[in-house]
Amino acid sequence: MFKFLKKVQQTDSKSEPEAVHTKLDKNAQHIKQLFSYGLNKDFTFRELTAKYSQEKIEIYYYSSIVDANKVYDAIVRPLLESEGKQIRDVIVAESVKEITDFEQATEHINSGKAIIFEDGNNTAYSIDVAKFEYRGIGKAENESTIRGPQEAFTESLNVNVSLIRKRMHDKQLVTEGKQVGARSKSEVNIVYVKDLVNEEILKSVRERLDNIEADNVRNLELLEQFIEERPYSLVPTVLFTERPGNATSYLEDGHIIILMNNSAGCLIVPVTFWSFFHSPEDRYLRFLFGNFSRLVRMLAFYLTTMISATYIAITNFHSAMLPPDLLLAITASRERVPFPLIFEILIMEIAFELIREAGIRIPNPLGPTIGIVGALILGQAAVQANIISPIIVIITAVSGLTSFAVTDVSINYSVRITRFIFIFSAGFLGIFSLMGAFLAWFMYVASIKSFGVPFFAPLSPSYRSPHDTLFRKAIRNEIWRPGQIKPKDIRKKANSK
Amino acid sequence: MRLKTIILIIMLIPLFLVGCYDKKELEQQAYVVAIGVDKTDEKGLYKFTFQIANPEVGSAIVGGGSQEEPKETVSIKGSDILTATNTANSFVSREITLDHTKVLIASEELARSGDFIRIMQSTARTTQIRRGVQILVSKEDASEFLQNINPKMETRPHKYYQLILDRAKETGIIPEAEIHRFFQITEGDADLFLAIYATNKKAKEKDDGYEDEYVAGQLPKEGGNNSQFMGSAVFKEGKMIGTLDGQETRLAHVFDPTLDMDDLLSTYPDPIKEEFRIGADYSQKSSPEINIEYNKNKPTKINVRVPFQIEIIAIPSLVDYSQNKDNKELLKKTIEESLEKKSRELIRKTQEEYKAEPFYWSLYIRKYFKTIEEYEEADWNKNIYPNAEININFDLERLEFGKMLNDSNLTEVRD
Repeated sequence: MFKFLKKVQQTDSKSEPEAVHTKLDKNAQHIKQLFSYGLNKDFTFRELTAKYSQEKIEIYYYSSIVDANKVYDAIVRPLLESEGKQIRDVIVAESVKEITDFEQATEHINSGKAIIFEDGNNTAYSIDVAKFEYRGIGKAENESTIRGPQEAFTESLNVNVSLIRKRMHDKQLVTEGKQVGARSKSEVNIVYVKDLVNEEILKSVRERLDNIEADNVRNLELLEQFIEERPYSLVPTVLFTERPGNATSYLEDGHIIILMNNSAGCLIVPVTFWSFFHSPEDRYLRFLFGNFSRLVRMLAFYLTTMISATYIAITNFHSAMLPPDLLLAITASRERVPFPLIFEILIMEIAFELIREAGIRIPNPLGPTIGIVGALILGQAAVQANIISPIIVIITAVSGLTSFAVTDVSINYSVRITRFIFIFSAGFLGIFSLMGAFLAWFMYVASIKSFGVPFFAPLSPSYRSPHDTLFRKAIRNEIWRPGQIKPKDIRKKANSK
Repeated sequence: MRLKTIILIIMLIPLFLVGCYDKKELEQQAYVVAIGVDKTDEKGLYKFTFQIANPEVGSAIVGGGSQEEPKETVSIKGSDILTATNTANSFVSREITLDHTKVLIASEELARSGDFIRIMQSTARTTQIRRGVQILVSKEDASEFLQNINPKMETRPHKYYQLILDRAKETGIIPEAEIHRFFQITEGDADLFLAIYATNKKAKEKDDGYEDEYVAGQLPKEGGNNSQFMGSAVFKEGKMIGTLDGQETRLAHVFDPTLDMDDLLSTYPDPIKEEFRIGADYSQKSSPEINIEYNKNKPTKINVRVPFQIEIIAIPSLVDYSQNKDNKELLKKTIEESLEKKSRELIRKTQEEYKAEPFYWSLYIRKYFKTIEEYEEADWNKNIYPNAEININFDLERLEFGKMLNDSNLTEVRD
């Protein structure tokens, strides 16, 4: 029993970080051991004698993630050439930090800094010389718009913050840093406008970030799954966007944005159904045009979830509803089809899903094959083989085409899964069960909350807001910020009374 | 967790057991477009004829199979429509569905026998037959009528019924005869119900009639289908008592605000050159004004004012009616008088022969009675209407002459 306690104490003492020693040899030995020097090829150190103090100095860093020129210009040359009383006078780089223990040292080296140990000094210094490689700013490819800025977030945190700051010159815009992950600590930035954001929500975001228990959270896509409320729910509750312009518009309304290295995008919380339904282009287009586009999208939303199910319900259970010409045409085309109608629909819907999945995964050079194979399955060949009737091709094509109008990737999956739920329920008792399933689905979605905000707000429950739901108002008539997230300042127009 | 899964599966299994209990694939059904009913020698037993559309004919998507007939017409004896469908399944391969029925055809013999109302009961009870199905009375047996319908331009039978009935109704030569209206009028027990009258058989042609003064069978025509839809069969208390010709049916449309008529092209006598007639487009912008002055002990007065408009479309006599003011007045008066005269004839026929009216005017007398008993007591059908003084007044509000005012000047053309 005591042995056990002892062991615990031992591990405790072990976790206590070791302080930087006065003797250079000891420090060198320790840090070399920590980073497996010799085995670890890119872990490098340089030894030199400083001119100002004539003491031995050693610089440790990862050669793969630092800028060699910077190391030379900011550290090596001043040490070799400059005079001064202390190391701070010699090294005048923008970020010099004093380090007292090895845990800090490790962290700094890992994040691309160089650590300087001086003989006879029990303080080490960290200088930021990091140079992580990242992709340049590209075009937003997954959320394409015709009008509006085209640049997209890239995989670098600093660049992404700069893209936002470029759009929003506000001293209240805060980028708060946080670290997640136990083994590999990743920097997460929470961006918000300090005098707009709702403190409750901000606190909840901070808490959720603090509560993440993981060795490594590599990027935002994974982070999203760590911070969302209901991991098994059908609908997403965090919005991912790759457009800085879109992100900024949410910031202006008092939302919170989460940024991270290694993700070409940002997370926006809290969001509602409407955030997934809207496209940034709705705002970049004029009032009437933007709303027309939304109307079309809403129709697409309805068709993609309902058209196959409605077709099954009507033809199998309510054939009296069909105009006789259509009825006879469908009947005639079905005379030679061996499968029940619901099965026909399922064959085609699944074929479409296969093409879609394969289309995403297929290597680029093989891309065109998808088109050819897809046209065979979804086209005349299947009809001629008497596997499906021609009208099913149209139904599936409409259902597939409209699903592309649901732009957000996450909600797109929700909608596609929903479609299958509806198809099965329509095959069960016709319109009756379809309506039952729709009601159940609707109630379920309405019950979802994103960081405490109801999913269909501000439509239901109603809040004072710009009522930017299915349609939007003319921009000059938008007086309020969305009330459902309870921003500190709900009035949008500073000067008007 | 495992328990949860098991419970979930157990809850889902029954769905597979009960699912799809009234599901019916389209190709397993035979769609009836017309139902015919005939009398047989036995009482309570009727001959039902079902005209079934063949889906394969006329749809472009299907290759082959075009040798098949566009329709199949089968007759079977039975006591009501629905049970007859089951008996017919001994030789019709699919479930007979009545959802898409367009017309219900009764032979004149059956309609006059009074058994027709017995047949109609099942149509109200079932969900399969819509209330919008048109009731048609055929001069010959319904089965014969259906067997011989052979439209030249519409291959698919439902299209034929749909088009001919809609168009003929627009011109007013046949009435709107929905099952719903049949029950409404028959159970209201005050008015006459008009059903569509049609035949495939040519009767003796009537040569002296003008454009709409025929009943089906009398039309002096050449070519086209044999089937003629013209005029109406008059039902009193669910029993057929006579026929109205096309013109009378059109007048019934004029007097009945519940009926619609879109197109009324007809001719009127030429007041100056009497051997010619003048073609005109009759239109009505507002419903007729029907004022009933109910007198308990002396004849009720019914004043009907019909405001209407005329656009002249043909003056074969070439008389100048458009520029000459006197002629114009004369024409106006002639048209009004001609309409009033025909109306008076129709009214007299209904008052004396049928002793009831087909115009749904009972709607206008009801306001004089406080209770239904009182209304039934007064007896619109037997007492008030046959003895009423009816004053019909056609009021020509506007007379137009088309886009050309003058006709060709015959003396100049033939100099």
